[in-house]
Amino acid sequence: MCALSASTNESAWRKDFPFLEQQPNLRYLDSAASTQKPQQVIDAIHNCYAYEYAPVHRGLYLQAEHASNVYEQARQSMAAFINSDKADSIVFTRSATESINLVARGWAGSQLNSNDTVWVTALEHHSNFLPWQQICRERNAHLRVIPLDQQGMLNIEECGELFSKQTKLIALTMVSNVTGQIPALHTIIREAVSRGICVLVDATQAVGHMTIDVQQLGCDFLVCSGHKMYGPTGIGVLYGLPERLAQTEPLLLGGGMVDLVGDESSEWVAGPHRFEAGSPNLAGAVGLGSAVQYLQNIGLDNVREHTSVLADKARARLNGVPGLELYGPSTGEHSAGIVAFNVEGVHPHDLAQIASEDQIAIRAGHHCCQPLMRALNVSSTARASFGLYNSYNDVDALCAAVERAKSVFTPRVSGYTPSHQHE
Amino acid sequence: MSDIYKSVLLDHFHNPRFKTDMDDQFIKQRGSNPRCGDEVEVGVRLEATEDLGLQVRFRGRGCSVCLASASIMTSCCNGHDRVYLESFCDSTLAWLQNETDHVPAGQDIAALDAVRNHSARTKCVLLAWQALKLVLEDPKLVRK
Repeated sequence: MCALSASTNESAWRKDFPFLEQQPNLRYLDSAASTQKPQQVIDAIHNCYAYEYAPVHRGLYLQAEHASNVYEQARQSMAAFINSDKADSIVFTRSATESINLVARGWAGSQLNSNDTVWVTALEHHSNFLPWQQICRERNAHLRVIPLDQQGMLNIEECGELFSKQTKLIALTMVSNVTGQIPALHTIIREAVSRGICVLVDATQAVGHMTIDVQQLGCDFLVCSGHKMYGPTGIGVLYGLPERLAQTEPLLLGGGMVDLVGDESSEWVAGPHRFEAGSPNLAGAVGLGSAVQYLQNIGLDNVREHTSVLADKARARLNGVPGLELYGPSTGEHSAGIVAFNVEGVHPHDLAQIASEDQIAIRAGHHCCQPLMRALNVSSTARASFGLYNSYNDVDALCAAVERAKSVFTPRVSGYTPSHQHE
Repeated sequence: MSDIYKSVLLDHFHNPRFKTDMDDQFIKQRGSNPRCGDEVEVGVRLEATEDLGLQVRFRGRGCSVCLASASIMTSCCNGHDRVYLESFCDSTLAWLQNETDHVPAGQDIAALDAVRNHSARTKCVLLAWQALKLVLEDPKLVRK
């Protein structure tokens, strides 16, 4: 499905996003940080507060019962979206970060023994690195990193002990938030699961771009967040196999997660509610459910094709710019709509500011991936990431901004003479 | 950002003043911003040169704002005594952090106004000045 209008070169989906409709000259190329929200999602959140709002799982009156049903319908929508056959496998959290911390503290905190090993990859976001680093330190376990090879792919051959008896968990990303790389997870997961090793997949960057099928993946845990899939901030998802969730202790204790509270000890309820202490985020869940519906109506294959075509186009155009270095995979098919690059002589922050003056929003920095920056031997990069609302016009604007930045930062001779060098 | 300020900042970025290596005679402090890889080292030479005041130098790598700010700092500070530097550094830090609108008197310093209100660049512009403040607090220099 081609959403690029022949007459305007704009994306047919751009009109769904009021933030962009109100700023027609804005070129938003930062969807990997957070996507804009379609009117449908904004309306769903508005309508929730205007017409459906009541406490979830706490009231016996009609409105409260309806609110509870709406909340659980969102859980079912999310389960179907990632092809989980059980809605009870879906836990709502505040974010993907919280989901990973829940597994690190609640599962690994009791399952990891001294000298066990947790593996992550060099591609991980800090949120899929730091919780493991911390829990390994506390449990006297080892954290090891799957490195990258010369082509930037996961170098499994270097990791002879990846599937050893010491390995308790492997946590790895489905899509790199820096380069857009889509690592080949299936082989690793299949091998790990056959040996009883727990696998957590960070699908945060993947969820708004491609079909996710937890049954096909075969992972034990999977995490993602709403705000990178055209949904609201403040809601994240933890998927877990029932037996793994049963091994997981809740991080937050309080209302809604207890069965029996005794003076000396208490018992938690079963299922996902055990991890959802406090009043549930009804509007967040409803907004997430609406985002799921929005993406399903378009079709994830169409989403992926759209962003891949644009990323391919951008890479091809930028590849011809002298002094410009691209990072990550060479085609959009493997890049989930993300293009990371640096321009010789132009710091990424300067590039982002020049682009901003031209109303182009790109990201610059280490993208919460300092281990990957070290592997790439850079301190930071510029990053353009594409969403449904982007078009060839955005690629053109990005390339023009890169050329302008190069021009601005071309060294010029000044009248200044550095006299101190002759002291 | 005004074009005049922009050209001043770019000139300092491309032609940094007093950017050199520093020997052991310099009291040095580093400032870094791991978010973007900005890293500067600021040094003041222990021995003031008669008539010429204190030598202030920097070295480092980073974005144009970070390096231009460091260059403006060294060109304003080099050759002055410690008491002047302390006062000048404090008043510039206060101005850069919007605690005052009073622009410190110094060559090209007004150009930093262009980035003073960009919250995303605050760390870049402050880095060298914060390192200078640490240098000036060094007991070895204070005793002089």
